[in-house]
Amino acid sequence: MKSSRLFTAGLALAMALSAPGVFAQGKVTTVKILDGQSTTDAGIEKFIDAAVAAKYPDIKLEWEIVGWGSDFQPKMQQYMQSGLPDIMIGKAQDVATYASQGVLADISGKSYLKNLLDAAVASGSYKGKTYGVVINALYQGVYYNRKFFKDNGISIPKTQAELQKVIDKCKALGVTPFATHFKDGWSIGNVTMQFAINDVFSKTPNWGDQLRAGKVSYAASPEFKACYNYNKLIYDNTWKDETFSLEQTECDARMVKGKAAMKVSGSWSIQNFLDVDPSFDFGIFPFPNQAGNSKLIYEPNITMMKSKESKVSDAVDKVFAVITGDKALAQKIYDQTKTAPMIKSVTPTYPNPSQKDIDQFAAKGQLVDAGTGNNQLVWGGFQDENAKDIASWLQGQISLDQALMAADARKANSKP
Amino acid sequence: MRKRTTNAVKDGPRYTVGTFVLQVAMTLIATVVSLPVLITLNYSFKSRKELYLGSPLALPQSPSWDNYASAFSRLSMGTTFLNTLLYTVISVAIMALLSGAAAWAIARNKGRFFKFSYVYFIVGILIPYQALFLSIYIIGFTLHLTNTVYGVILMYIATGMSFGVFIMTSFMGTVPIELEESARMDGCSVYRTYWSIVMPLLKPAFATLVIMQAFQVWNDYLMASLYVSSAKLKTLTVAMQTLFSQQATDYSTAMAAIVIAVIPIAVLFGALQKYFIKGMTVGAVKG
Amino acid sequence: MRKPSFERGSRLQYATLVLPGMLIFTVGIIVPMVLSLRYSFTSWNGFSRDIPWNGLENYKRMLEDPYVRDAWRFTIEFAILNTIIQNLFALVFAVVLDGSIKGKRIYRTILFLPCLISSIVVGFIWLRMYSNVLPAIAESLGLGLSLRLFGSPGTVLSGFLIANNWQWIGYWMLIYVAALQSVPPELYEAARVDGASKVRQFFKITVPMLAPAFTICIVGISVGSLKVYDLLVSSTGGGPGRASTSIIYLIYNTAISGRQYGYGSALSMTLILVLLVVAMIQISALRRREIQL
Repeated sequence: MKSSRLFTAGLALAMALSAPGVFAQGKVTTVKILDGQSTTDAGIEKFIDAAVAAKYPDIKLEWEIVGWGSDFQPKMQQYMQSGLPDIMIGKAQDVATYASQGVLADISGKSYLKNLLDAAVASGSYKGKTYGVVINALYQGVYYNRKFFKDNGISIPKTQAELQKVIDKCKALGVTPFATHFKDGWSIGNVTMQFAINDVFSKTPNWGDQLRAGKVSYAASPEFKACYNYNKLIYDNTWKDETFSLEQTECDARMVKGKAAMKVSGSWSIQNFLDVDPSFDFGIFPFPNQAGNSKLIYEPNITMMKSKESKVSDAVDKVFAVITGDKALAQKIYDQTKTAPMIKSVTPTYPNPSQKDIDQFAAKGQLVDAGTGNNQLVWGGFQDENAKDIASWLQGQISLDQALMAADARKANSKP
Repeated sequence: MRKRTTNAVKDGPRYTVGTFVLQVAMTLIATVVSLPVLITLNYSFKSRKELYLGSPLALPQSPSWDNYASAFSRLSMGTTFLNTLLYTVISVAIMALLSGAAAWAIARNKGRFFKFSYVYFIVGILIPYQALFLSIYIIGFTLHLTNTVYGVILMYIATGMSFGVFIMTSFMGTVPIELEESARMDGCSVYRTYWSIVMPLLKPAFATLVIMQAFQVWNDYLMASLYVSSAKLKTLTVAMQTLFSQQATDYSTAMAAIVIAVIPIAVLFGALQKYFIKGMTVGAVKG
Repeated sequence: MRKPSFERGSRLQYATLVLPGMLIFTVGIIVPMVLSLRYSFTSWNGFSRDIPWNGLENYKRMLEDPYVRDAWRFTIEFAILNTIIQNLFALVFAVVLDGSIKGKRIYRTILFLPCLISSIVVGFIWLRMYSNVLPAIAESLGLGLSLRLFGSPGTVLSGFLIANNWQWIGYWMLIYVAALQSVPPELYEAARVDGASKVRQFFKITVPMLAPAFTICIVGISVGSLKVYDLLVSSTGGGPGRASTSIIYLIYNTAISGRQYGYGSALSMTLILVLLVVAMIQISALRRREIQL
């Protein structure tokens, strides 16, 4: 007993002494980072580490990586009590949330912002000041099997009526119209927001503010009712019995194998599609809205923010400069995550069959920023809870009206 | 020593047809129960593609250790394993010492303070720290305990005290009070008596408590995720949950990670079965 | 008599043996509990500077909140069914594995091993089982059953019952085994000599001797089931929809992503109260039974 106690004491001492910082190693600045990653982002921290270490060997990055969907907000909440890390990496929609709480550093006018596209700077700004460095973007819409559409003479639907025709054609050919993975509640929340962007916020950009002011409500909004009903349309035309048990990879694998023709999703699926079959030919189009004029949604994604109270503000600026300025690093990130660049003059080299569709929509100016919706209604605590109600409704546990009223009941939580 | 009768009705169990049926039933049940573990092992050797292109029941086409290698690095096994080991060993050792001391003092004294202490500790068993987590965090950072080694250790001690006192008081009956009394009469202080006389006699009790609490701490998720979230202080279970949620698309690595994480516990249990079972059964036996 | 001063001085020394543990316990558990109690009377959102008092509002709201009702329903159903099923099977296996079959040790070890696995991992494994493995088995055996238990609100409870029982039956079984083995054989001998049947022996001798084990198992399983959380996190995340949201899961969600820490604290206080009441009722009822037997 005594010797084992000595052993543990010795072990503890060894661990404590080996903790960095006990033996000074010259002037090393440590920069703490909280990184809320999505599944496709895993591993980019290693690229960033290498790039920063090469340029600034005296800067050490200390990473804390969490899943953005479930843990970024809780961690931010925790740290707002005790002290935020120097850099926080979230999504563009987080800029509004945290800038409004006054915890982000104003980086307007910094030189590294010139490395970014104008759209990126705009997405990272709140009330005229810039707080976030947006480095990539996702596209969201309906991915479709291009070969299947071509072989069967199916053209891209622009209205609900045309969509219904496509659905009927798929069914006649024995193919499931939509691939879904409703087990992941976030996918329901995501597609509902996609619908809302083209049906609600296109007409009423400040619908969220109006909701909170009591001027509009979900229950009384025919547009939101339509959005919720699109979910039902998809649910009725997918593998109903399995979707609440199916998770992403399998769903995407089925799509690639030709079991389904369409999937309402975003760029995060590209990684999976190409993993299963690198020669899979897919395209993208925006989900048709009531008015027949849907735009393709782009979502500014990975966004880096600096804490207002950071004690190593200059080091943070240097890190931001490396990330936005090192083109090789940027390319690696885009190729890994299969996303679109927000940094100037960087072209990703991964094959993206949907790029031609994206370029077409971009040329006609038919792109819309996901922020129009996400900056009006926050994700955590509101959109994700509404998604749960939609899931309950689809499974017959509550009625559509109850789901809409539940959304209204929690509107106090919707402010980003 | 009880004499065994030669009549085979109760002892010297007879192997009847009924017994055979039970044997078959138990074998089936044991197989079914092992299924999840075997499937996990199976998955851990499969490549990522095989996960969604093949059947889950199929054996790996070309079994490889790739997943284990990637699990090792994804979990930063070196760091997280050592961290978990450190927190477990130290917090359990200290908790055992403190609860042993408290339990002994409570058992040897009749005063109101001691009776109150007993109830105070025991009630703690019912309080789920999960329900108090944010307050626990607030206390933690107010006292500068978060993201420190000693902070998380202190919290594990705190959450283990109730159970520790409960177990140790059950074992107090095994320490003959006469030995203590003679030591006291010889002039030993209370502390000396505890240290030199009582503690050695409580070795089996300590062993039991340590085993039972060690695996609670090892497998703990919520406390570790609250108190030590930075990469260099993370524990194995927290790293695994990150792996599960983050790498949802790549669960072949996750499967290998599970196997890696479970092995040390299984080995420890195998070596120290005796004490574990003893701890579980304290209080289960009448008298 | 040396005794009086002897005792008083040493009384203090004994007290100091209790104090360090008590201090750590207080700081780590009791103080947060008091803090939570305070927050339960506020409408604090968990991160802003001001903490507005709102009296009993949270408690009133809790009584009408359908999400709270559903979470309690799920948790209580889970706890009750678990307590019955786990206890029953643990006892049955203990009896079978204390009898005449061969290889008892191996069976016991196999049944016991799952409890060494962390609940986070158990949840994840069973998610895979229900989504992929069991459906594949059903297909290959030609059964028409859909075994995707985590995929629909009607079956998700059963799914968790199976997963949780898989994890813990072996543990409680060993407690019963120990209790069974502590029954002196003479009692059975005497009963046999008196002409009692095996069944009668079981009920008149075994069952009373199992009473303390019974208490431990019932209280342990029910309290543990009411606290279910880790198992849900890595598997269904409370879904589909809200069908498998336990009370602790709801508390965590409300307090953090819901940004209603005050309300969440009120829910926590209720949970703690329920746990205390449940445990105390069970302990006193079962202890009384023990004494009678």
